[in-house]
Amino acid sequence: MTDIQYVAPSTLDEAVGAYAAAKGAARILAGGTDLLVQMRAGMVKPGLIVDIKKVAELSAIEKTPEGGFRIGAAVSGAVLEEHPTFGKVWPGVLEGLNLIGSTQVQGRASAGGNLCNGSPAADSIPGLVAAGAIATVQGPNGRRNIPVEQVPTGPGKTSLAPGEILVSFTLPPRPAHSSDAYLRMIPRTEMDIAVVGCAVSLTMDGDTCTAARVSLGAVAPTVLLVEDAAKALVLTKLDDASLDKAAAACSAACNPIDDKRGTIAYRTKVAGVLLKRTTAIAAERAKGG
Amino acid sequence: MPDGTTGTGIGAAVKRVEDFRFLTGKGNYTDDINRPGQSYAYILRSPHAHAKITSIDSSAAKAAAGVLAVFTGEDMQVGSLPCGWQIHSKDGSPMLEPEHPPLAKGKVRYVGDQVAVVIADTYSQAKDAAESIVVNYEVLPAAVSMSDALTDKSLVHDDIGSNLCFDWEIGDEAAVDEAMSKAAHITKIDLVNNRLVPNAMEPRAAVGEFDAATGEYTLYTTSQNPHVIRLLMGAFVLSIPEHKLRVVAPDVGGGFGSKIYHYAEEAIVTWAAPKIGRPIKWVADRSEAFISDAHGRDQINHAELALDANGKFLALKVQTQANMGAYLSTFAPCVPTYLSATLLAGTYTTPAIHANVKAIFTNTVPVDAYRGAGRPESTYLIERIVDQAARETGIDKVEIRRRNFIPADAFPYQTPVALQYDSGDYEATLSSATKIADVAGFAARKAEAASRGKLRGMGYSTYLEACGIAPSAVVGSLGARAGLYESAEVRVHPTGSVTVFTGTHSHGQGHETTFAQLVSDRLGLPMENIEISHGDTNKVQFGMGTYGSRSLAVGGEALIRAVDKIIDKAKKIAAHVLEASADDIEFKDGNFTVAGTDRSMAFGEVALTAYVPHNFPHDELEPGLDEKAFYDPANFTYPGGCHICEVEIDPETGVTEVIKFTAVDDVGRVINPMIVEGQVHGGVAQGIGQALLEYAAYDDSGQLVTGSFMDYTMPRADNFPKFDVTTEGTLCTHNTLGVKGVGEVGAIGSPPAVINAVIDALWDRGVRDMSMPATPEKVWSALQAAE
Repeated sequence: MTDIQYVAPSTLDEAVGAYAAAKGAARILAGGTDLLVQMRAGMVKPGLIVDIKKVAELSAIEKTPEGGFRIGAAVSGAVLEEHPTFGKVWPGVLEGLNLIGSTQVQGRASAGGNLCNGSPAADSIPGLVAAGAIATVQGPNGRRNIPVEQVPTGPGKTSLAPGEILVSFTLPPRPAHSSDAYLRMIPRTEMDIAVVGCAVSLTMDGDTCTAARVSLGAVAPTVLLVEDAAKALVLTKLDDASLDKAAAACSAACNPIDDKRGTIAYRTKVAGVLLKRTTAIAAERAKGG
Repeated sequence: MPDGTTGTGIGAAVKRVEDFRFLTGKGNYTDDINRPGQSYAYILRSPHAHAKITSIDSSAAKAAAGVLAVFTGEDMQVGSLPCGWQIHSKDGSPMLEPEHPPLAKGKVRYVGDQVAVVIADTYSQAKDAAESIVVNYEVLPAAVSMSDALTDKSLVHDDIGSNLCFDWEIGDEAAVDEAMSKAAHITKIDLVNNRLVPNAMEPRAAVGEFDAATGEYTLYTTSQNPHVIRLLMGAFVLSIPEHKLRVVAPDVGGGFGSKIYHYAEEAIVTWAAPKIGRPIKWVADRSEAFISDAHGRDQINHAELALDANGKFLALKVQTQANMGAYLSTFAPCVPTYLSATLLAGTYTTPAIHANVKAIFTNTVPVDAYRGAGRPESTYLIERIVDQAARETGIDKVEIRRRNFIPADAFPYQTPVALQYDSGDYEATLSSATKIADVAGFAARKAEAASRGKLRGMGYSTYLEACGIAPSAVVGSLGARAGLYESAEVRVHPTGSVTVFTGTHSHGQGHETTFAQLVSDRLGLPMENIEISHGDTNKVQFGMGTYGSRSLAVGGEALIRAVDKIIDKAKKIAAHVLEASADDIEFKDGNFTVAGTDRSMAFGEVALTAYVPHNFPHDELEPGLDEKAFYDPANFTYPGGCHICEVEIDPETGVTEVIKFTAVDDVGRVINPMIVEGQVHGGVAQGIGQALLEYAAYDDSGQLVTGSFMDYTMPRADNFPKFDVTTEGTLCTHNTLGVKGVGEVGAIGSPPAVINAVIDALWDRGVRDMSMPATPEKVWSALQAAE
C-alpha cells in the first residue's frame, strides 16, 4: 500500500492550499462515510487526505444576518439534529440528511460530503435544492456562491474547480407558514439507495400555496430542480388537478436508468406519487407553522 | 405446548445461559482465536464465471513484503472436495460427480472460485500481494441460467460431458397420469423459488495449525458439524488420519445450513500450515461471503394438480429444475430430491404423486441446503397450487384445504412419496390460527384499508415438513454416504456436577440451555451444575452436528438415553450402599430411595461413591459414573401447522407491508417455549425475507449483481409486525421426548402464506400471479399490466 499523507489544518486557507497543491491526488475528508469505504474497497487511492473538520467555519451552524441559516459543509446530521431551531424551520432538509445511514453513520456523515460525492440518489440534496440553498466554495482563486443544484454535474462529478473546497450551505430566511418535506421510495426503509427521492418546500397563505420549490433525486444523472412542478402548485389550493399537473411535471422531468433497484417506468410513476405525498406533508407542516 | 412449568425443567422458559457471553462480547468465535506465530491467508478468486486459466505468474507476489507463500491448484495436489449424497437418475445411472479441487486447476467455474492463496505476516500484506498475481484467463461462454445450461452449449465440466447432473424421479407416474385423465379439473402452475444468499451474521473463517512435535493438525472453523468436517477433509481431501486431526467449531454466529459443508478454505489452511511452519488464519469479508458461501433454493417448478368434482385432490405431477451451481456442494443433491419431492403430499391425502427433478450445473456459486432445505420449495409449490386450485374451482381456500387434510385419526399415514407421517392434527392448527388471526374480522379490515386506497390480502399456508434428520437405514438406502444418528456422553463428576458432551453443535440455537434443561429435569440438578460441551472433536465423541432441525429430536434423545443409563448405574450404586436390590431403588427429585422406606441417598452422594468405591463388589459394579449413548431415530419427525399472513399493498408504489403474521406450529413437546418462539420468529423473518425482499441475481455474464448489502435486501426488524407465534398439537410417537424440531418451520411455512396474501390483495385488480420476491417494482408492474 502506498503511503498516504494526512493533514488536518485549522484554517480554510491552509486546507485550500494543501488541497490545491496536491493537484488532484488529494481527497477531502469530512465524515469519511464515503471516502473511507471507497479507500477500503480500493476504489480510490489518495496521496493526501485533507481533513476539514478542524476548520471552524466548516463545522459551524450560524444564523445569517438576514435570518437564514449557514451550515458548515462538515456538520454531521446528528449535530444538525440537535440544533434547537433548525429542524423546526427546515424539517424536510433534516429528514433527508438523517435518512442517510444508521445512527453511527449519522454521527459522521455531512450534507457537504453527500453533495461532493455526486450521487444522483444523495438523500440530503433534494431538500437543500428545494430550500433554495446556496453553496459557498473556496479555492485558490477565492470564494464564490452557487445554487446547490448547480454543484453536481453527473454521477460522481461536480462543478467544483480543481482545488476548490465546499465551505457551507446558506439557507434563506423563511416567511411565516413555510415548511418542507422529503420522502423517498426504496426497496426497504433505511440504509439503502433511493429509487426516487422527492423534496418539496412550500409557503402557504391559508389554503393557498404562494411559493414552492420541488426537487427530485435518483431519477436523472443529477438531483433535479423541477420548476414546472413548482409552477403547477403556486397560487393553487393544492387541489387534485394541481397535484396531478405537478405530478405529471415530475414524471416528465425524470430521466432515470433501468437497474436492479427500479425500472424507468416505475421510477417515473413513483416520482409523481411521491410529489403528491410530499406536498401534502409539507403543506400540513406549513399550515401548522 | 408450554405446560407452564416453572423452574428449569421441561417446559420452562429458562433464559438462555449462553446469551450473557454473546451479548457482552465475550463469545469465542473462530476469528477470536489467535495462535502463536499466526499468519494470514487471502484467497484470490475468479473474476470470471467461466474461463480457462492459461497461466499464473505469482513471482511478484512471492517477493512482496511479508509474503510467506503463494499456492495455486498446481501446487495443491490433494483430493476432491467430496459430495456426501449420491443420487441415481431414473435410468439407474449414478449422478455426474465432477472433481472439485480446493484451488482451481486449469479452469474457473464461477465468480468467486478459488484461484490461489497468498499467505503473509498480515492480512493486508496477503491481500496486497494477491493484486500482483498475474492470471491469464481465456474467458469462455458461461452457462448462467438453468435453461442455457441444459443446452450443453457451454459445459461447466468438460470431462463429464453434460450439465445435467442427474434426472431423478419419485412416485408412480402411471397412476398420476391415470388420475389426471379422469380429473374434473387440473390446475397448472409455474413457479420460481428464488436463489438466496444465507448471510449468517458471522462470516466463515478458518485457522489451520500443525504441531510438528506430535504430527497433529488442528482446524478451527465456523462449522455446524466439526466431526463431519474432520471425516470429509481428513479421509477424502488431505489424507490425514482422524487421530491426528482435531477440528474445533467454537462459538459460531449463525449457520442456516451454509456452515454444514466442507469448504475449500478449510482444506487450504490445514494443508498449508505445515508447509510454512506457522498457523494460518483466513476470515471471509462480507463481499467474499456473498460469492463463496453456498447459496440456497434456486429451483424452477412446473406443477399440475388434478381434482375431482368435489375439490378432492386426485394427483400431483411436478417437474423441477434444480440449480446445483458450478460444483456439487456437500449435500446439494439431496435437497431437491429426498428433502423436497418426498414432501409433496404436504398435509393432504393426494393419493398419486410423481415428481421429476433435473439437477443442473451452472457457472454460479454452488447451491446447497439453506434453512428448510428442500421443504420450503415443496411447501411453496403445494400451498401455491392449492390456493390457485381454490380460485379456479370457486371453492373457498380454507375449505379446499379442509376437504383434503389427512385426518387426525389417520396416523401413521403413508404418503405415495416414501414418507410415513407419525402424527399431526392439521385441522386443529388451522382452526387455532384462524381464531388468532381474526379471520372473521378480515372483511371489515379490507374495507377499511380500501377506504384509504390500500389493498388488503390474507394468505394461508397449512404446511408440513420432515425433520429430525434422520434414520440412517432410510437415508442410506436413498443415497446418503453417512449415518445420521446422534451421540451424547453424560459425565458425572465426583462432586455431582455434570458435563454433557453432545455431538450436535449450537450456532445460535441455545443448546447450552435446552440440553441443560433436559438433564436438570431428569436428574433433578440445578442448571448451574450442568455444563454442555460441543464443537471440539478432541473432547466430544463422534457426532453428526446440527442441521435439519435435528438437535433435540436426535441429539436430545441420545442425551436422554445416556442420562437414563446414568440413572440405572446410579441405582446399582445406591442399591449396593443401601443394601437393597437395584429393582427396589426409586429415583425422584434427585434422591435414590429404597421403595417404601426412608433410606435414601442424594445424587451427589452416589456420584462421590462412584469415584470413591472403597467397598464396591468390583465383579458386579464398575467404578465411575460416565455413560454414553448413540441414538438412531426410527423415522423423521413431522412438524406442521398453519401460517396466516395479512398484507396491505399501496397500489401507487407497489409497497407491500406485512400487517399481521400468525403462526400456529405443531412442533411436538416444547422444552423451552422462549427458545421455540425465537426459532419460529427467526424462521418467519427469513421466510418473509425470501417472499418479499431477497434475491441473488446474476447478470448474463455470470456476475452476481446483488453481491453486497447495498443490493441484496436482507430483512430487518422494521419490515415486520410483531408475529403471533403459538405452538400446539401432537407428540412425536417414536422418540421418548415427543419432540419434533422447530428450527426450520418458520422458513418453511411462511413464504407461501405471504405470496398467497399478496395475490389475494391484488386479485380484484386482475393480478393472477406473483413471484418471489414480491418487490414494490414487481407488484406495481403487475398492477399496471393487469389494468
